[in-house]
Amino acid sequence: MDYYLGVFQTIGVHTLLGLSAYILLLTGQVSMAQIGFFAIGAYSSGVLTVIFSWHIYPALAFGALLASFFAFLVGFPALRVKGLMLVIATIAFSEIVRLITFNFVWMVEKDGIMVGADGAQGFREIRYFTTNGWESSQVVTLIWIFVVIVMAMLWWLDRVKAGAVLRAVGNDELAAQSSGINLTTVKVAAMTAGGFIAGLGGGLYAHAVSYVDHITFTILMATFAISYPILGGTKNVFGTLLAVIFIQGILIEAFRFLEDWRLIIFGLLIVLVMNFMPDGLVSAFKKSTSGKDK
Amino acid sequence: MNIEFIDIVQSLIDGVLYGSTYALIGLGFTLIFGAMEKLNMAYAASSIGGAYVGLGVSVLLSLPLYAIFLIGPIGGGLLSVLVYICCFRYLPSNNHLAALMASIGGLFFIDEIISHETDGSPLDFPELGIFSEAYFEIEFSDMFLGFRGDLIFVMFASFLAMLMLMYLLYRTRLGLATRAVSQQPVAAQLCGISIHQTNSITFILAGVLGGIAGCLAAASVGVISPLLVLPLTVKGLIVTVIGGLGSIRGAIIAGLLVGGLESVFLLLRGVNERDIYVFLLLFVFLVFRPNGFFGAEIDRD
Repeated sequence: MDYYLGVFQTIGVHTLLGLSAYILLLTGQVSMAQIGFFAIGAYSSGVLTVIFSWHIYPALAFGALLASFFAFLVGFPALRVKGLMLVIATIAFSEIVRLITFNFVWMVEKDGIMVGADGAQGFREIRYFTTNGWESSQVVTLIWIFVVIVMAMLWWLDRVKAGAVLRAVGNDELAAQSSGINLTTVKVAAMTAGGFIAGLGGGLYAHAVSYVDHITFTILMATFAISYPILGGTKNVFGTLLAVIFIQGILIEAFRFLEDWRLIIFGLLIVLVMNFMPDGLVSAFKKSTSGKDK
Repeated sequence: MNIEFIDIVQSLIDGVLYGSTYALIGLGFTLIFGAMEKLNMAYAASSIGGAYVGLGVSVLLSLPLYAIFLIGPIGGGLLSVLVYICCFRYLPSNNHLAALMASIGGLFFIDEIISHETDGSPLDFPELGIFSEAYFEIEFSDMFLGFRGDLIFVMFASFLAMLMLMYLLYRTRLGLATRAVSQQPVAAQLCGISIHQTNSITFILAGVLGGIAGCLAAASVGVISPLLVLPLTVKGLIVTVIGGLGSIRGAIIAGLLVGGLESVFLLLRGVNERDIYVFLLLFVFLVFRPNGFFGAEIDRD
């Protein structure tokens, strides 16, 4: 049972990560910075609950806000340049954050033991849930409540004007600009929102697994984050969820016996999908059915 | 530790010499970007892959040392054209992000294959024979500056490769076709130039450069490891941006600059923090000079 709870927990956290990239992908931007925001959320909320003994909810909120603040800061210089340059800038950002967590030491003594972040050793003992008597099923439920809230909000976003503005920028920047949309505002707003979601996911992840280190935040994870909405397509939020279930639930968990071949398959899978369905799995499916109606 | 001026100059020299490999990698990125306006994220992976192929073939057939430096570039060229076929050739030409994602997939594919075959552990890479033992000292107004022989060889070989590339690009019909495709793909096609053939040649050229860079980098460090791939990718991309996307001389200058600064940061802040400052350099450029050194001359984006 604990194993399945673990799988649900992974899928939930990765869905948040994927959705944070999804909202930016709506504006046509590929961001590899989501894992950097995830790391900021994980470390800052971990510091708050472990070192400052905060309650979990304000700590999560602070982590998400701090991540979205950094997303806002990164957004400005990075979005001055288009598409491909953004990818390079966001890769560099994620690596900077990873290297900072690698060097980050902040330990205090509590009840006779040293707790906190210890550089390359990682950040151990983020034990808010166990010390406060949460069952692992309650933790998973908490994660999924946040997943459902974020998905519902993104789903709702597609039914109001703001969502239409995002997609307009994604479809044709020039046309959107001609209709009076400020491109930088829209992109930075999407980046900030994405940073918030990723930071929230990071905080939840750090407390759920009780241990994070710099290896959690590699470019491989950034690739996972962006590959979910790309594989799932940007038609709606459920594509991202399906892609997470497919990759984390089936490829990574169910095919555990394949060992390191799974990551080779992951690379190959992206290459194949991009060759045969460059618009993603879900939109490719929609296109082939709507083609008959025309 | 007391760091004196001479130490900084010395590490700058070492860094600039080693930076020529970054210049080669940046050159490959920029060459492909210039030809297709696309980023080939798998480029550094195929370069290191080329060095692995060179090492593997030489060890299996027990060939002499220099054979690695011949087979490595060939392997790099083959891997690079394979990346072209898998990640660029059959994708819609106006979809930059699909090609980008596909090549990121290619990056992890090559990286994980290498990790799988070598169990993720580094392999010894033969050093550069007599060059690695050579060491020159130059007295310069009562400072003694040392030049490592192997790094001088690396720099020399890199510049030779760059000169060959320049010759190919600006003095041959092949180069004319490559430049035509990069400037006006449609017009070039109307003149009877096959775009796919020219692009494949560009990828082979870039791959050979990458193979040389991979071999030189591994030889001057003495080991080769799949862990080299990602830092080399990020640094190659930073070199490309700082030099200006698509600018060849920009990539060379930026490569030497990044190498030199990296080495100074290593001296001042230690190995764990070094790359933070190198990557921050990119943001400095994005804020103050988003087109890089020579990006303004090609106004595409």
